[in-house]
Order: sequence, then structure tokens, then C-alpha cells
Amino acid sequence: MTAEFARIGRLLFQGGLNNSHSGNLSVRIGDKLVITRRGAMLGELSASDLVPIDLKQDDSGIAIASTEVNVHRAIYRSTSALAIVHSHPRSATALSLRGDNIVPVDVEGRYYFKRVPVFQAKRAIGSEELEGGLPVLLENFPIVMIRGHGAFATGGNLEEGLQISHSLEWSCDILLRCLAMGLSPEVVMDDDGHGDW
Amino acid sequence: MSPHWRALDIDLSTGRIFNTEFPESRVRLFLGGRGLGAAILRDLTGPGTEPLGSDTPLIFATGPLTGAGVPSGDRFSLSTLSPLTGTVLDTNSGGRLGRSLKRAGWDLLIIRGAAQSLSILKVDNSGGELLPAGEMRGERVSTVLGKLGRTYGKSCGMAVIGPAGERVVRYASIMTERMRAMGRGGAGAVMGSKNLKAIVVMGSGEVKVHDRGRLKVVLEESNRWLRAHPVTSKALPALGTPMLVNICTRAGIFPMANFRRVAVGESKAYSGELLAREFTVGRSGCTGCYIRCGRITEVDGVRGEGPEYESLWALGPNLDITDLKAIIRAAHLCNELGLDTISTGGTLSCAMELGSLDIRRSSLNFGDSEAVLKAIGLIAAREGEGDELAEGSRTLSRKAGAEEYSMQVKGLELPGYDPRGVQGQGLAYATSSRGGCHLRGGYLIAREVLGIPKKVSGREVLGKGGHVARAQDFGAVADSLSSCRFATFALTQEYWSRMVSAVTGWEMSGEDMMRAGERIINLERILNVERGIEPEQDTLPRRFLSEPLGEGACAGEVVRLDDMLEEYYARRGWPGGVPDREKREELGLS
Ligand code: SF4
Repeated sequence: MTAEFARIGRLLFQGGLNNSHSGNLSVRIGDKLVITRRGAMLGELSASDLVPIDLKQDDSGIAIASTEVNVHRAIYRSTSALAIVHSHPRSATALSLRGDNIVPVDVEGRYYFKRVPVFQAKRAIGSEELEGGLPVLLENFPIVMIRGHGAFATGGNLEEGLQISHSLEWSCDILLRCLAMGLSPEVVMDDDGHGDW
Repeated sequence: MSPHWRALDIDLSTGRIFNTEFPESRVRLFLGGRGLGAAILRDLTGPGTEPLGSDTPLIFATGPLTGAGVPSGDRFSLSTLSPLTGTVLDTNSGGRLGRSLKRAGWDLLIIRGAAQSLSILKVDNSGGELLPAGEMRGERVSTVLGKLGRTYGKSCGMAVIGPAGERVVRYASIMTERMRAMGRGGAGAVMGSKNLKAIVVMGSGEVKVHDRGRLKVVLEESNRWLRAHPVTSKALPALGTPMLVNICTRAGIFPMANFRRVAVGESKAYSGELLAREFTVGRSGCTGCYIRCGRITEVDGVRGEGPEYESLWALGPNLDITDLKAIIRAAHLCNELGLDTISTGGTLSCAMELGSLDIRRSSLNFGDSEAVLKAIGLIAAREGEGDELAEGSRTLSRKAGAEEYSMQVKGLELPGYDPRGVQGQGLAYATSSRGGCHLRGGYLIAREVLGIPKKVSGREVLGKGGHVARAQDFGAVADSLSSCRFATFALTQEYWSRMVSAVTGWEMSGEDMMRAGERIINLERILNVERGIEPEQDTLPRRFLSEPLGEGACAGEVVRLDDMLEEYYARRGWPGGVPDREKREELGLS
């Protein structure tokens, strides 16, 4: 398991989806989860960075687990997710500041997402607001943005979460380039109907 | 705040009482608490002062925040000389004594000399009074606290010793009315040597705050952080410090049997989780604390405070005892008799190892919990084998010609973190001003294990000199403000400096405070060197330097102390381990 956490963490870091110490990963195993420790460097994960912890009850792991552990717990409790990837993608975070949804304009993005909801929270890190709001959205969407903070992606395993996180960031890069060229997203999507899936 | 800090200065030998004032400009240099205590200690003692001689003062010092209602900030310090190590000693605790002193109009209480017979010192707004305590001779801590509470009311601050302090056991503790201990280094023995069974402080005034509006703002922000940080808001309230048992076990640094090995796998039999589930009947805490990390536990109908992580370890796995019931009983007994649990455990484990190797005859064997309970009683009474054990593990092992089996630094027994897996903590033990202490050395476990503020590798040595120096400086700041180390997990120095500015009007930045912390650490080093505690004593038991850990996450490691020490001294500006003239001048120390 350590090797898989390390591989996914490294790919997130190398792909620019997380900076040196940001983000976290978890997997669900029955009524427990294994989550990265608080402040772990995703690009360099080792066994001591992984914290097993109960899905409901706090045990000593809470002292070192990621600050977002209760958000992960809440997502596992109300969705069928078996893995969660929390990243800080730059383009997606920038776009999260301008609306309630991010709507990709590229074909792959349209295929995967149609739209990605943006969750607005007063306290955008490890808060009860996130615990309450994110699971509801993740029941219907594979990935959700928290305004100005980052993305929570779910999957059957860590790689699925990685893939969906990368795809979103890729789509957001394209969207930002379109905007930089002065193209409005609506025009791009209407052209030839290529966005219709 | 008044331009002077007021001390009630009492000579127990003559009964004379002085009101002494310390200019605020001097207080500010050392912040209060531990720092100011060290400065006054240097004024009042010389290189030849014997810790158990009547010349040695007990200096109870409040911090600038004591009584002002800041989070976990109602503590107080005690500075004196350690009869166990010979070093400067400061110890602090959370009880009402500090707040009561402030309310009585005193910032400090200085006690010198020795009373003719066993006494109680009563302090209030008008001064101090010495009362006979003969009928309390030999009484346990909770009995004394109960009597004092009935006589003087439950709202006063108290500091008492048990039978161990009266018998001058070199690691006797002083206990407060909340059964919180000033444990390390034997301050209880100093109090016992002065024939002082108890101190009771009653104060009826108000604690002055310079700018209440400003304080309110910073307290609102600080409380938000304390409530958001997982350690201060979840782990410590839920499990107390025993949460560390499983965390340290997983990290490969939870020592067993006098550090002969480390625990591997989950420690289900004696974990913080089990303690919470099976034996904890309530939480407790120091005055004015939101975190409340203390546990009230019950075994066979008997309730008591703790054990905290260190006590659980020292009286349990350190002695190869894994029965939590037996561990709780031993910890409660130490509290009642007024014994430091870490040094008690460290001395017993040393005796057990010496016995197991046939180096010294002993009735103590690893894993024998009944023998441990009996030995604790003998130590406190200084009877039989207990008399020798009461001197501490260094003396015990030296007499047997085998000092390497005593797990101590400068005579102070080590707490429950094997330094081979946490190199920075190893350096911290070696350089701590009061000997083998995790807190005075700079609590590197926060960084190397808990990842506060960010995780650094426990196996790496590069950069640890700087980490340790900075952690020591910040620790000195917290102890001098008389705030709790745990609150510093959530609050950086900026928050503390804003609180100090609001309460006192001093206008100090975070860096100003760190500078004061550095000054305090330098002063303590100077005091120790003047007392003959040379840098050669900045070392660790041979086991850690040459016997690699055999198993667990840090298998194969020894402490690479020399590399770290060099960096540490360079970072401190201590060529050869001693502050030079340039450094002293820079910090305004003579
Ligand atoms: S956190 Fe624990 S030790 Fe610190 S002030 Fe609170 S109760 Fe006391």
C-alpha cells in the first residue's frame, strides 16, 4: 500500500497538482481508512506518512492525521468512494474564484465532467461546513472544487482519483487559455457542437 | 501593569519578610516565570551553593500572562537548584497558585532559609505567615490538600509535598491542589529540606490588564486556532498525552525495559485508547485551560489523576510491565507520595537491569509490578533498598561501577522517547539545561513525530542543531510567560507576543520574544557552567551512541550526536559549548 500511495503522491506533485507539502490522500478499508499524515510531502511518501484511523471514532491517529481527516470520513460515510485525492490544482483553483461551476470546453473534459461544482465555505480547510457540504456533491460528481482552496476527487482506487484530478486541471488550463485569447466559453462550445456528449 | 514586579521574600530561618521590587525593564529582558526565576537565582546563589542547603531559594514566579485569562496560560514557575543534577532547575505547573499570587498583589514568592520545624506558609494580600504543620508529618498529598482545602477554602492556590519530599528523596515532586506535579529535578526535596510541607496562597484583588479590548481580539483569534488544531482540539481532549503510546510505537521510538529495546506492533494492552475506554472516569486540567489534557482514572474503586504519557511509560513498559491496572496504581501512588514518576521509573529500571546482569543485588525484576509498588513506598520512606534508590539512577549505577546502565543525562532520568529514532530529540536531551528532559531540551517530538508545525525526519541529523536551538528558545518563552507547551502547538510566537503586548503594554514582537528566549537559555547555560556543569556533560548514555536499535521503524540507528552538537554550538555562538564574551554582550548578560 505504501508503494501505491508514494506513486500517486509523486505523480500529483510532479504534475504540479500539489506543492511540496499540500494535499492529502486516503483509501477506505472496511470501517477504517488510511490517510496521509498532516503536512506530509506527497512527492516523498513513506510508510511513516500513512496513518490508519477509524472511520467514526477518534483514536490516537487523529493527532497526526491530515487536518482534513473528518472531511474524508464524511465522504466515505455517504458515498461509495474507496479512495480520495485532495489536490491544489492551480488553474482549477483560479477558475473556482469566478463562478459556482467550472464547465470544461475541451472534449475530454466535457466527457468526464460536464460540469464541476464549486463549493463555497467560510472556513475552507477541515471544517464542519466541508464535512456537511462536500459529501452531498460527491454523491453526484466525481470531483468538487472548494472555492480558492482545491479539489476533492473520489474513486474506486487512488489512481482513479489521480486521473480525475489531472483531467480537471488539464481542462481548466485549456479554459484559461481560451479566456486569455478572448474566446468566451460559450462560443467555443457552440462551435460545431463538438462539446455535445 | 506596575513599573515594578513585586516579590514577597521570606526567610524561613529568621522569620523575616521583605517586599522586594524588580524593575520592569529587567523583568522584560527575561519575560517572567522561568526566565526571571533564573536571573534571580543567579543573584541569590553562587557556584558553591548546595541545592539542599538552606541558602538555596525557592523562587515561585508568575508570568506576565498569569491570571489574565489567556488560553492555558495560568501556570506558574518554580526556579531553584536541583538536588538530583546540581543544575539550575525550573519546573512549572498548572494550579491556582500563580493566579492567587497575582491576585494577592505579588508577582513572585521567594523562600529562603529553613524553618525550625515542619511548617505551612500562608500567603495573602498582606504578606506571609508561617504556621506549624507538625500533625501533617508523613501525610500523603491528597490528605494534606483535603485538610488545607477545608481550612482555607477550595479557591486558594496550594503547593504541597508528600512523604518523599519530607524525606528529601532527590526526585521528590511538589504537587498543586489539582494534583498537577512540579515533577522533575527534585524541587520537592528542596522544599522538604526547608521543613516546608505546604504553601497556601489566597488573593482577593484583580489582575491588571493593560488593554482589554486588544486582548479580546487576540483571544478570539487564538481560541479559534486552538479549536481548529487536531492535537489541541481533538487528540489531547479525547485521549490526553497517552495518545502518544501508539504514535510513538508506530514511529519505532517507544522504549521498553530501560531502553533495551523498543515496542513493535500496536500496544493494545497499555494504549491511550484502552486507558480512555476502560479506566478514565473524567477529564481534568490546569486552571483556565480549554484543552484539559489530564485524566481522572479509577482502579478498583480508587480514583486518581493520570497517568500521563510519561508516567504510563516510566512505570509500565519501561519496567516491562504491560498491565495497565498495575501501571495506574503505581502512578497514583507516586502522586500521593510526591515522587516524580519519570525518575522513579528510570531509577527502578536501572536497578532492574543491574540486577538482571548480576552487577548489583536487588529485589526488583523486570515485569514484577508488585515489587514496584513496594519499592515506591520504600523510596518515599527512604527505607531498606529505597534509601539507595532515593538518590536516583546515576548515583545508584555509579556505586555499582556501571553508570552506562543509568538512562539519564546530567543525572536526570530520560522520558519515554528513544532518541535513536528521533535524532533531534537526542540532541535536545544532551543539551537541556536541567538534564535529560524532553521539554527543556526543546520538544523535538513535536516536529519529528507529530509534524508540528511541519514534519521533519527523525533519522536526519543535518539542520537539527538549528531546530533544537529554536525549539529551546521558544520553549523558554512559553515557560517564562507561564503558558502551556501544548497551547504552543496551535499558537505561534506572534500570538503570544500580541497577548503579552495587550496584557502588559510592553509592545514586543515575536522576534523580540524569541530573543528573550535565547537570552534565558544562555543565562541557564552560564549558571550551569559556573556551577561546574561543563559541556562534557552534553552527552547521552553509551547505549544510544553505540548500540543500534534492533527492531522497529528505526532499526539500525544510533544517535549521531557529535555532528549535531557541532552544529548546535555553532548556531548558538557557544565555542566549546560555552557562551563567549561576544555572545554575552550581545544578549546583555554578564
Ligand atoms: S493542556 Fe494540559 S498541561 Fe497544558 S494547561 Fe491544559 S491541562 Fe494543563
